[in-house]
Parts: sequence; C-alpha cells; structure tokens
Amino acid sequence: MSSPRRQEIISTLPSLGWLIAFFALPCLISLTLAFRASDLRGGVGDGWTLETVKSLADPIYVPVLMRTVGISFITTMVCLMLSLPMAWHMARCSVNWRNALLLLIILPFLTNFIIRIFAWRSLLHPDGPLKHLLVWLNLISEDALLLNNIGAVMLVMIYTQLPFAILPLYAAAEKFDFHLMDAARDLGATGWSAFRKVFLPGVRQGIISASVIVFVSSLGQYVIPQFVGGTMDEMIGNKIVQRAFTDRNLPLASALSGALLIMVMIPVLMMTWRERRARA
Amino acid sequence: MRSLLFLLALALPAFAADTLHIFTWADYISPETVEKFEKANKCKVVIDTFDSNESMYAKLKAGAKGYDLIFPTSYMIQLMVTEGLITELDHSKLTHLSNIDPAVLDKVSDKSMRHSVPYTLAYTVLACRSDKVSNPESSWSIFERPDVKQRMTLLDDMRESIGAALKSLGHSINTRDEAQLAAAQEVLLRWKAQAAKFDNEGYKAGLDSGEFTLVHGYSGDLWQVAQENKKITLIVPQEGTIMGCDEMVIPKSAPQAALAHAFINHLLDAEVAAENMQWTGYLCPNTAALKKVDPEFLSNPAVTMPEAIRAKSEVIQDLGADLAKYTKVWDAVKR
Repeated sequence: MSSPRRQEIISTLPSLGWLIAFFALPCLISLTLAFRASDLRGGVGDGWTLETVKSLADPIYVPVLMRTVGISFITTMVCLMLSLPMAWHMARCSVNWRNALLLLIILPFLTNFIIRIFAWRSLLHPDGPLKHLLVWLNLISEDALLLNNIGAVMLVMIYTQLPFAILPLYAAAEKFDFHLMDAARDLGATGWSAFRKVFLPGVRQGIISASVIVFVSSLGQYVIPQFVGGTMDEMIGNKIVQRAFTDRNLPLASALSGALLIMVMIPVLMMTWRERRARA
Repeated sequence: MRSLLFLLALALPAFAADTLHIFTWADYISPETVEKFEKANKCKVVIDTFDSNESMYAKLKAGAKGYDLIFPTSYMIQLMVTEGLITELDHSKLTHLSNIDPAVLDKVSDKSMRHSVPYTLAYTVLACRSDKVSNPESSWSIFERPDVKQRMTLLDDMRESIGAALKSLGHSINTRDEAQLAAAQEVLLRWKAQAAKFDNEGYKAGLDSGEFTLVHGYSGDLWQVAQENKKITLIVPQEGTIMGCDEMVIPKSAPQAALAHAFINHLLDAEVAAENMQWTGYLCPNTAALKKVDPEFLSNPAVTMPEAIRAKSEVIQDLGADLAKYTKVWDAVKR
C-alpha cells in the first residue's frame, strides 16, 4: 500500500468509525427488526417472518407514498427556482454584501426548528396578522384558512429547506467564471438563453447536490405535516410514528423506515454514480 | 443548597429512613398529601414520572426495579397482570377500600380490586368556544355541524376517535364486531372531512386562541382551559363517552410493599383524597371524600357527570390480537 493511500485511510478512520457505529449499525438493527415477528405488547417477538415486509404492498400506503414523493418533489423544484437567482446574485455581489447575505441565510438556524414552526402557526392563525392583512387587501375571503392544509405544509417545507438549496448552489456559482456569460452575450445569446445554456450547465454539480439534499431531507419530514398540516396531509414519517407508538408494532415501523431508507438511497446512489461517470 | 442536601440524603440511604419509590404521571399527587404521609410514617417518598403507559411498561419490561407503587391506566394493568408483573393486594392493610365508589368499580376490569385500586377518573369530552358556536348540542353529532368545518379537532388517538364514532352509533368502544367497526369508519370519515387536525396536545392552546372552535379532548385539561377562558364551554355527549381510570398497583419487585400499601390507604382517606383531588383537578372516585370537597370543584362536568351518561360510558380495554381490527379502520381513516 502506498503511503498517501494509507494516510487517507487513517485520516478518514475516525469519521468512518463514527458512521459505522452510529449510522450503519442502527440502520442494520432496524432493518433486521423488519423481519422479526411483532409482539402485541409493543416489543419484538421470537422467530422470523417475511409477512411484515409483504404487508408494505398494502394499497393503503399508496396515497401516503405518493403524497410524500409529491411534496418532496415540489419542494425541491420551488427551492431550486428560488435559490438559483439568489446564488447568482450572491456570487456577483461585493464581499460585504455576500457575507451579510450568508449570515441572513444561516440566522434562522440559531433558533430551534420547532419554535420556528410554531412561529409559522401564529403567523398563519385564522385570527392572525397575515390573515387579517390578506382579507383587508381583498385577496382572500373571511372564511379562507391558511393553516392546517397542504398549502401550509408546502410553505413551511420550502421555507425550511431553502437554505439547503442556496448554500450548495452558491458554492457552485462562486466558482463559475462569469466572463463566460459576457462571451455568450458577445456571441449573440440573449440574457435568458445565456443563463439557460451557459450558467445552468456551469453550476450543474451544485444543482444536483442541492436537489439531492432537499429531496432526501424532505422525504423524511414528519414534524411539519404534524404541526401545520391538516387531516389529509400525512407523510410517510407520520405513518412510521403511528406504527411505532400507537400501534405498538415495531417490526412494521422498521419495515416502513427501511422502505424510506431505500427511497432516500436511490437519489444519493444516482448522484454518486453520475459523479463517478463524470470523473471517468 | 437545599437540593444539594437532598442529593446527599439520596446518596446516603444507610442513614435515611425507609424510602417509598412511586412511578406516576407528572403533577398527579399533591405535595401536601405526600408530606403528611412522610411525617406519619417517618419515611421518604421519591416520585419518578412517565408520560405514557407504553413507556412505563417498556421500562418495567426492560427490567427496571425498585418501584413500590405505579399508577397505570386500567387497560395497561390487564396486560401487566397477564405478564405477571403485579402483586396481589393485601386487603387487610387497606382499611379505607370501602370509600371507593362501587359504580366506578363496575366499569373497570378488576372489580374486586385484587391487583389494583382506582385512583382517578377522567372523561373524554368536547369543548367549544361559545362565542363562535351557537347552541352547541350535547352530542357527538356536533362534529357534523357546518359551522365548525375546518375549525374542529379530533384526538389523534386510535382508540379515542374510533371509540367516539362507535359511541355515536350506540356501540361499545371495545367492540370486536367488524360490521360495527365498518359503520364507525364511515362516521369517522365524515368527521375527518370536517376536522382541521388530529391533535392530542395543541387543542388546548388552539381553543384558547380561537384557532379551533370545537375540540375533542380530556376533561381535566379542558376544565383547566375553561377556568382561564370564560368563552370556553364543556360539552358532555349524551350518547356516553370514554372514561379513563388510572389505578394504583404494586409491582412484584417492590422492595417496600408494606409502605406501598400504607400509601394507597393514605390516598384513600377521605380528608386526604379531598385535598388531593382539588390540587390535581382530577376526580378521585372516593364517595366519602366527595362529600368534603369545595362545591365549586363539583361544578366540573367531569366530576358530576350525569348518572345517565356515566352509565353509558366505558373504559378502554386491552383487545389483544383484535386491536389489529382497529388499526385497519384507523389506517383507512388516516390515509
């Protein structure tokens, strides 16, 4: 073994060990539980069974699954659309501005996530300030509701995930050579087609990482639908909580988590595969 | 300094008197009641709390030892008895057992108090904002009123919400009949279309702030909110409702079983129970103590539940394998 290779292994060992102990092993344990019999007392019974995994084919999961993927997909698309101009602007503005903007993006993380969701609940309250303003502006009717519906879930999802789209896109845009845009304009491209044909391919890597990060972390959300969603807005995360706590069926909760894990793995593996192909 | 001394006292059990370890819900026994017991028995009482029957059960099952007295809900006690975790009570040490209301005993599964003694009784009720819902009817059918659409909540609890739908149809909340459950599912789907949320926690604040105008919740909690906000009215559905009974049990592993018996007897004393229930806000089914409480406390609809409604109300029972039938309905409702 060559010495740089060995050094690489030694330097990644601590984080690798951490991931094995606190990520890979727990995942494996929970996946194993999916193949154990369930126990009515809320524990895990003896013996092995494939029934739990087979029960995932039950059509009751279809709407929840479609909703989870749909909400995550729309969140990803809207976050990309909002963060592309932001990343463009941040890459081109002065250093002071850029630092101020970065600080503003990171600022919400200084408060607790749950507290921010509750702030949204107050803002969207049926007697809240936003409702009164919109009614006063004649934009919505008196009985329109802003809270406890799919619109509120989407709004808070996009709000929560937006920084995770802006940061990788900004990192990519910062490395982009904006002289290429001038060159495109010189060669007769309109502003829009230069953006589309030169800038977007130039920050492709950033777009891919932003999409994967936002999509993957959206798939596993359950707090947002629980707090700002209504009765029709459950995601797969809420189902897992129900299986584990109300139904006292740990193997089924594990099987569902396994399904979620596979859903999460697909985009991540696709990204790794593309990266490897691009390098080759 | 005081807490330091307290810790020190805990660390030196050899010098301390006997210690009684209680495992119960938060704020569930008045400090005065505990102090009186400590003085009379020259012992120390240590209270540890749990937030759900399931977590308490999981802890015991995982081998937690050292608890002398536990306060689970009656359906969980059935399970704990079958698992052999609970000891039989020595009735000769429980001189105040006769204070327990026989009407309540009739509702729980352990009617002869072999393993458990009822501690409190709570009901699942409704509450509305009287300024937003006019002439609320005392019936589960209030969930179908057009003026509460998207402004009402249902409990995010399978047994509670399916139970309410079953009660609205006049069926038992512990039914194993699939046709009755299918009918309840239809009712629940209609209610769901009306509901803003399935919610177990936020409904109190939501009702107070006006986010919701009608909520499905527990009598003790709703009584407390109604005390703060005069626009809130409690509604008891005349078709009957679900009663929750928390009971006292002594685990087989209890190191101080005799002291635990003494504590149960202390809580059953009429004077003590009267003081205790006014502090916790929950009804203790203690006939002698109810004669000693403040009349204002008795205006709580959960305490003076009309006899006709109480007779139609039931306690949730453990259904074993048939619980899957409820899960199926709940899945169909929540999809």
